[in-house]
Amino acid sequence: MSGRSKSIAIVGTGQTVHARRRTDVSQAGLAREAVVEALDDAGLTMDDIDSVIVASGPAMFGAVNQPEKWLVDALGARYKPVVRVTSGGGTGLAGALAGMNQIKGGSAKRVLVVAYDKLSEGQLQASISTLYDPFWGREFAVGIMGFSAAYWHARIKRLGHTEEAAAMVGVKNRKHALANPKAHVKKEITVEDVMASRPLCWPIKVLDVPPISDGACAVILAADEDALSITESPAWIHGMAYYCEADNAADRQMIQSEPLQIAAAKVYQDAGITNPFRQFDVAELQEPYTCFELSYYEGLGLCPEGGAAELVASGETAMGGSLPVNPSGGCMGANPIGATALIRLAEAAMQVTGKAGGHQVPGASRALVQAGGGWANLRGVAVVGSEKR
Amino acid sequence: MMNTTTRRVAVVNSAQTVLSPAWPDRQHIDLISEAVAGALKGTGLRIEDVDFVIDSGSDFLDGRSISNCGFLGAMGAHHKEESRVEEDGLWSLSYAHDKIAGGSAKVGLVIAYSKPSESDVRNFWTGLLEPFLQRPVGLDQFSAAGLYAQRYLATAGLKADDLHAVSNRAWERAVANPYVDVAEVPGDAAFWNDPVSTPLRASDLARPADGAVAVLLASADVADQVSATPVWLTGLGSAIDQHFLAAREPDALPACAAATRSALRMAGLDDVRSFDLAEVSATSTVGELMVLEALGFAEAHRGLDAYVGATTINESGGALPADVIMATGLVRLHEAASRLAGRTGYETPGATSALVHGTGGFAMQNHCVVTMEVAS
Amino acid sequence: MTVIHQPETAEANVETMDWMAAQIKMPYTLTPGQATGIFLAELAGRRLIGSRHGDELIVPAQDFSGTTGEPATGFVEVAPVGTVQAFTTGATGTIGIILIDGSTVPFVHQLLGVEPEMLELGARVEAVWADEPTGGMLDLAGFAPLGSAATFEPKDDPADLAAAFEKVDYTMTLDYRHAYGPYYGTLFDGVKDGRRIRGVKCSACRRTLLPPRALCDICLAPTAEWVDVEAVGTVQASSVVHIEFIGQRLTPPYVYAEIVLDGTSTRLIHMVGDVDPDVAQTAAAPGARVRAVWSDRHTGSLADIDHFELLPGDET
Repeated sequence: MSGRSKSIAIVGTGQTVHARRRTDVSQAGLAREAVVEALDDAGLTMDDIDSVIVASGPAMFGAVNQPEKWLVDALGARYKPVVRVTSGGGTGLAGALAGMNQIKGGSAKRVLVVAYDKLSEGQLQASISTLYDPFWGREFAVGIMGFSAAYWHARIKRLGHTEEAAAMVGVKNRKHALANPKAHVKKEITVEDVMASRPLCWPIKVLDVPPISDGACAVILAADEDALSITESPAWIHGMAYYCEADNAADRQMIQSEPLQIAAAKVYQDAGITNPFRQFDVAELQEPYTCFELSYYEGLGLCPEGGAAELVASGETAMGGSLPVNPSGGCMGANPIGATALIRLAEAAMQVTGKAGGHQVPGASRALVQAGGGWANLRGVAVVGSEKR
Repeated sequence: MMNTTTRRVAVVNSAQTVLSPAWPDRQHIDLISEAVAGALKGTGLRIEDVDFVIDSGSDFLDGRSISNCGFLGAMGAHHKEESRVEEDGLWSLSYAHDKIAGGSAKVGLVIAYSKPSESDVRNFWTGLLEPFLQRPVGLDQFSAAGLYAQRYLATAGLKADDLHAVSNRAWERAVANPYVDVAEVPGDAAFWNDPVSTPLRASDLARPADGAVAVLLASADVADQVSATPVWLTGLGSAIDQHFLAAREPDALPACAAATRSALRMAGLDDVRSFDLAEVSATSTVGELMVLEALGFAEAHRGLDAYVGATTINESGGALPADVIMATGLVRLHEAASRLAGRTGYETPGATSALVHGTGGFAMQNHCVVTMEVAS
Repeated sequence: MTVIHQPETAEANVETMDWMAAQIKMPYTLTPGQATGIFLAELAGRRLIGSRHGDELIVPAQDFSGTTGEPATGFVEVAPVGTVQAFTTGATGTIGIILIDGSTVPFVHQLLGVEPEMLELGARVEAVWADEPTGGMLDLAGFAPLGSAATFEPKDDPADLAAAFEKVDYTMTLDYRHAYGPYYGTLFDGVKDGRRIRGVKCSACRRTLLPPRALCDICLAPTAEWVDVEAVGTVQASSVVHIEFIGQRLTPPYVYAEIVLDGTSTRLIHMVGDVDPDVAQTAAAPGARVRAVWSDRHTGSLADIDHFELLPGDET
C-alpha cells in the first residue's frame, strides 16, 4: 500500500421529525427534509456533493422499485452518481460504509448518504414476511417477529435474557426518547406495563416492539483536511464494518450473533478498543425488539456472555450511568427501518461533537454504533470519536 | 479526482453462466454458484482468500425482500463483509473497486444475477416509476423505448427498418457467443416487422435473460501474483438523469455522457475512440445508438457510424439478445476483460483497452462507465 | 386498513413440479406530497394545476423540479390544452408526451380517440376527463384531438385550491413462478410422493444440510450425497404466536418453531401444533423433541407436514 489511508469524518447530519404517519410529504419529500437539514448543518449545498448514496429498506415496503431513481428529483441530484445500497434494517450503516469507501477509493470527495423509510404506506409484517424463502418457511412466517421471538426464547433459556431484563431496555429507551426532539413515541412506561402488555409472539409483547415510523436521516462524509475545512468539529469515524452470515449455514444457532462479533473485532482493532465498556462514553444500538439490545451488549463485549440482564439492571446503560446506551431513545423512540441504522450513526456523531442537546451525554468523546438487518444475519459496527485517529 | 494514495485494482478472473430466456430447472443459487466457482477457478485463490462480496440483484425480480440474505451461502459470502447494491452489477464493481483502491481490502468478489423468467418482467419496469403520475397511465419499458425511438428517428432522418442493422448485427454475434442461448438469428417476419410499440418491433427490444456473472477483483500485489494478464481498472464514472421520462432529453442520454466524462477524467484520456473494444448496454436498438453517441463513439444522431469505427463494439452481441437486467453491465465487463486477457475462447490479438457501459432504472435513467487496460 | 395481509402463497404446480406459483399482493396508501397531491385533488374539479420552480412551469404540479431540485414556489392553473411531442402505439393503446400550453416540462399520458396513422407530432390535444373521479391520475383519462376546449395563459395563484390528497390507495400484485431446481425438486418430489425428507451431505465438513443445495454455505464444497432424514427433531428456537393475520394456517395461539431434524445441521421452519396454550411457553421450548404430523395434502411443499407434535421424553 502506498500512502496512508484517509480518515473519514461525518461533517453534517440531519433527521426528519419522525412520525407515525406523514401525510404531507411523499417518500421523496421525506428524504429531502433530512438532506436539507444535513446540508445546513454542514454549511454546504448539493453543488458541493460529489456522490449520493440512498439507503432504504426493502423496496416492497414502499411499492416503489429502486426508489432512489425517484428520489433524484427531490434531492436535486441530476447528473451526479446516485446508487442505492440496501441491507434491511442495517441499510443506513451499509450505505455509510459504501460512502466511506467512495472517498477512500478516490471516486468522491464528499458523499451524501440519505436513508429513509415511510412505513405508514405499506403493510409492514406482510412485507417482512417476504424475506422468507418461498419454498422454505414463508407460509409459516410472522414477519420477522416470530423468528426474533424464537431466538430470544432460546437466549432466555441459555443466557438468562429474561422478559424483565428486556422490559428494562424498553423502559430505559422510552424514557430517553422523552428528551429527543426527533423521537415520536414519548411515553414513560414501567417494567410492569411491559410485562402486562399483550403478547404478540411470546416472549415478544406489545411494549417490546418499537413504533412503526415515517422518517429519514442524512449524513455527509468528507476526509481529512477537507472535513476540517467544512466544520471545526467533525465526528471522525475510527472504524466501520458490516459482516454477514449465510442464512442456512450449518450449525447456525444465533445464541450469539457471529457476524456481529466478527464486525466488532475488526472495528475494535481499527479503533484501538480493547475494553469497550470502559473506552466508550456512549452507544447507539439498533434494537428492533427490546431483546436485541441485551444480545448486543454481549456480542459487542460490553459485558460477558450471560451478563446482559445484570448490566441493564445495574442502570449503567441508562443516562447517568457509565455507558449510556441509546440516549436518543433508540428504535423505541422512532423506527423508520431503512433510516434507523443511519440515525444511530448520526446520533453518535452528534454525541461526540456535543450537538445532542437535551439528550447529550456530558463530555462524550467516543461512541459505539451497531446496526443490522435481514435474518439477523447482517451486522454492522462503527466507532466515532471527537479526535482524529 | 484520482488520488495518489489509492491502489491499482485489477480484474484477475471472471465467469458467467449461459444467458438463457429461461433456466426453468435451476434456481438463483444454482446460477450464482456456477458463476462464483468459475471466477475462482484457475486463479489459485480460494474462497478463504476473498475479503468481501458485493452483489447486484433485485427484490422485485427475485420475489423476496432483502433477497441477498437467502443467497449469501451460494455467493461465498459467509462471515465476510457483504453489501447489496440494488443496481446493475457494474455499480457493485465500482463499489468493490473503491474498497480495494482505498486500502480497506485486497480481494473482492462482485456478483450480479437475474432470473426474470420467474416473474412478469413488466412489473419490474413499471415498479420503477413513481406511482402517482407515470405508473397509472400505461407507460412501460416498451412504450418508453417507442417514445425515444420516434423522436430519435425523426431527428436522425432514419426509418424503423434502418434499425434492423443494429439488431441483426447483435443477434449474429449472440449466435456466435457460446454463452448466449440462441441457435440462430430469429427468422420470423413478425419479430422483424410487427410493431410492439411503434415505431419499434420485437427485434428492437432487449430480450430478458436469466443468468449470473461473477468478477474477481484484486489489488496490484495480489493480481500480479495470481494472474498472468491482470486487467486493470483505469477509470470509473456514473451519473443519473432525472426521474420523469418526459422531462429528460428527447433523443440523447446526457447522464451517460456525464458518466463517460468522469471515467475518462480518472483514466486520463480524452477520446474514447482510442479504445480497442467497447461493450455497451441498452434496452432497445435506439437506446444502443443513443448510448454509443453519449459515450462519444459517434456524433449525435449518427450512432450507426459507431459500428464501423476504430473501436470494436459489442463483439459479444451486447444486451439486445440477452438482457440479464441487474447483471447486463457486469456481463459486458466480463466479456471485455476476457478478451483483453486473451482467455481461451476470447482470444483478441492486439486488444489492450476497453470501455464498458452499464445502465439501470426506467428507460436507462442511470449510467455507469468503466475503462480497462492490459499491459501491451 | 388495520389487518395484516399475509402474502398469498399459491399451491405448488402439482402436475409438473418444475415451478411453484407465488403471489405477493399487498395494499398501500401512498402519499403524493403537496404539489402532486393538489394536482390530483383538482382533477375531480376538472382543473389542471402546475407548479412554478424558478423559470420552470411543471404540469402536473410537482414538489421539486427534476432539473434543478428547486421546490415549488407557487401553483398555476393551466389550460386543459396542449401539444403532442411524441407518441407510441402498442398493445394497450397509444400514449404520448404532451406539453400543456404555457408549461415548460411535458409529461406522459394516454392519447384517446386518435388514429395513430393520422396522428402527427405537434398535434393539438385537449384533456379528456373521467366520468366518475376515483381519486388518482386517471381522473384525467387522457388527451384527445382538440375540440371545443379553449386555451388560455397560465393563471398564477388560482383561487380555492383543493387540499392535497394525503393518500392514494394502491395495490401491488406481483406474480412469480419460482423454479424448484434440482435440489428442492428432489426434496419435494420425495415429500409429495413418499413422505421422504432428504438432505445432502457436504463433501468437506460432512454435515447434512436441509434444505439441500449444490454447495455447502460455509465450505463452498460440493454436496451431492443424498441422505434420508427422519422427520423427528429438536426445537432450536420457538415462540408462541398470538397475533392474527390473513392467510394464517392455524388458529392462534400456536408455536412458531425452528427445528433441527436429527442428523442435520440446519433449520426447518414450521409450527408446533396441538399444544395446550397454557403450557406452550414451556412445553414447546427450545430443546423440546418434536415429530412431523403429515397432512393428507400432497402438494410437494413443507405444508404437506400439517404441523409438528411434541414427543414425550427428555429435552436434549
